[in-house]
Amino acid sequence: MSRISVPTTARLPSSLRVNPSSTTVTKILSRLSRPSLISVALDWLDEDNLSLATPYLRPDQDDDEEEDDGDFYPPASSPEELREEYLSLQNRKGSKREILDRIVTGDWRHGVSLYQLAIADLQYLYDHPTSQKWSAYKIVPLKAPTEDDNGEVQPLEADKTSLYIPRFHPSLFLKSLQAQILPDIKAHYNLDRHKTLPLLILRIFVIDSPYNTPLSLSSTGNIDTGSKTILIAFPDGSPNIFISKPTSTGPTGASESKSLRALLVEGIPKALSLPRQRVTLQSTSLTTRNLEELLDRRGATRGNAAGGGWSIYADEKVKESPLSTVLPSPPLSDAAEEEERAVGDKKRRERPTVEERVNKRAKLVAQARFGDTARVGDGKGVERVDLVMEDVFKIEGDDADRMDIDGEDGEEEAWRPKVRLTFHGSHVFAGIRQLVECGVIDGERMPGWMTGEEGVTIGAVRNGRIRGHKGSGL
Amino acid sequence: MSSPPRTSPQPPTLDDEISALQSKIKTLKSALALQTSTLLTAPTTLTLLSTDPKLQSRSSLHQSHHLQTLYRTCATLTLFRAQDPDPNAVDAGSILGLRIEVVSRAKFLRPYYVLFNRPWTSSSSLPESQKKWLRVHRHTVPSCVPLSGLAARYLPAPEKDDNKRRKQDLGKFARGVRREVVRYHARLGTVADLRKAAGLAGRGEGNGSGLVDISPADAEVRHVSVEWGDGRTGRLVIGDDGEVVKLVVVGENGRDREGGRELLGGLGQAGTVKAEEIVKRLAAMGGT
Repeated sequence: MSRISVPTTARLPSSLRVNPSSTTVTKILSRLSRPSLISVALDWLDEDNLSLATPYLRPDQDDDEEEDDGDFYPPASSPEELREEYLSLQNRKGSKREILDRIVTGDWRHGVSLYQLAIADLQYLYDHPTSQKWSAYKIVPLKAPTEDDNGEVQPLEADKTSLYIPRFHPSLFLKSLQAQILPDIKAHYNLDRHKTLPLLILRIFVIDSPYNTPLSLSSTGNIDTGSKTILIAFPDGSPNIFISKPTSTGPTGASESKSLRALLVEGIPKALSLPRQRVTLQSTSLTTRNLEELLDRRGATRGNAAGGGWSIYADEKVKESPLSTVLPSPPLSDAAEEEERAVGDKKRRERPTVEERVNKRAKLVAQARFGDTARVGDGKGVERVDLVMEDVFKIEGDDADRMDIDGEDGEEEAWRPKVRLTFHGSHVFAGIRQLVECGVIDGERMPGWMTGEEGVTIGAVRNGRIRGHKGSGL
Repeated sequence: MSSPPRTSPQPPTLDDEISALQSKIKTLKSALALQTSTLLTAPTTLTLLSTDPKLQSRSSLHQSHHLQTLYRTCATLTLFRAQDPDPNAVDAGSILGLRIEVVSRAKFLRPYYVLFNRPWTSSSSLPESQKKWLRVHRHTVPSCVPLSGLAARYLPAPEKDDNKRRKQDLGKFARGVRREVVRYHARLGTVADLRKAAGLAGRGEGNGSGLVDISPADAEVRHVSVEWGDGRTGRLVIGDDGEVVKLVVVGENGRDREGGRELLGGLGQAGTVKAEEIVKRLAAMGGT
């Protein structure tokens, strides 16, 4: 370990240890539950990770003096012993505090490496899948730079006719991303596959320091005041990426974390670009905490541009082989038939009441408008939808005359009041579906943007349709 | 956890019987539907049906469906009409659907759909011919197919400027999308075949070729990463027509040209070898 700190442009090494008493370490570790803490510790002690997460072991084997020097957590003699210890802790009951203390003041008293912190941080993501707010971006190819008559380089435009699908190579990407990061901040990168979802997660941990030595981490806490974490998820088989909102330790302003995100949004396309194949990131107006929803709308599925009622075209379970000569039953007819029969058996004599018929009709309409999406339990919900209405306000009868008098003259032909709508909830579109099913919303006259078929959470409605179609369609 | 689980050697319970019967009902029902459709379209029954108008209408329904499946099987690109449920939809919600059939591993997959609408029908500034131009509304094509690029090439939006005006060509667009989709599935199939040939498909050990993993490395499955047991890794780049464009094998001491040639099967250079030949070569290695 060098004694002098020299500013470098290199990244922070994974094995770099952070003082366990710093707020960052405490913050990352203390938000995990007891079982998660133990599994993280066992993960650290795994053969493959041991080199980056070496625990504090008894320095000398011969020194068999009983360690009664007041050490509350006597160091183990080998990683295997420690593993046994944690396995036994797993079966015992106890408090979270006990494990946390053991890690911080006992087994990793000499420091917790950045790699360990990354593992612990990801464990928190698995425990709380909705802890991060993700925005989906689309990777789009750019046109080759052109020069105008004066020899000035024109601003790059998205190449709409390109047939090139950007590809992602993790190690190459990290190398070129490092080149984009400014030299006065240092970053630690950790790539990991998501345990259950088809995602590759890149965790970037940034500190405000030009040095990459332990000093930069220990000295009165650069790490505590100016460290930020940002997660980037790369879905398999899809030219989209998801970027999380940066979380920071210490009192940093919102503007600062915003600027880091902006910096990354600028740097990522450069890192993804190859010679003669430049790409850029385009926002797709979809921001949610739910990774599954993001994968459903921007991943490698068929439902990307066929949401809501259109999902019947994307449903892979439906068999529709052209070799089958059996007459297909159009969607809804099976359910309708089945239901009719059930009702018919029960009350063959008495005809269904008006209320029953209305209810049934509302259910069918909801099925037609939403398809199999927007179910309460499907785990694919967005929690917030913001819309701006830009529709013409229709005025009829007397009101129209009055409006003419005090309104502007023929200049502005139609009055478009500025109305903002925000839907909030655990699963916004499932809620709308339920309202349709109960008959509160008339499902047949409901505009299409209320079904969530566009797959956006931010949008402007004009003429009853979401304008721009940034999300689906083209 | 309230009731203890039943032990297995007990005689079949009532529930099992019911589920068995229900599955039987299901099979019989599908058999019945198949027989009905076969009977109703058989030429011999057609003459018998001529007296009953109800049966006749039913029969003609089946016949038209047969014709449709015939087109779907043979032409693989078919069009249909649909209705947009959105009350604010453009052009009163009429939708033109394009159905693309894909065969993979000797089976028809669920078709891919591209749905078009005509957003310019009501705009007065455009000439009559351009009002009926199509625009991609919804689709289920995988995201690794450059649908937007193809749409921008063959289905451009109408331009008021006469000089810039181009024509829309739905046929070229449809063929382009189908080509990409079929290639994508062919590449996926090749990777699956490679895995099978290397003995990686099942749980079992590799068949002695020394390969540990073969997996697609990018969204389009154009790059395939290959891993050997001894730490060598390789990259295979598959071209448009299934040929191996590039092949690189990297060992511990830098690039391993010998290993690359071995994988190509001594057949020569990359670019002349098809990915399928590597499959065959791997399979042969497993056989001996």
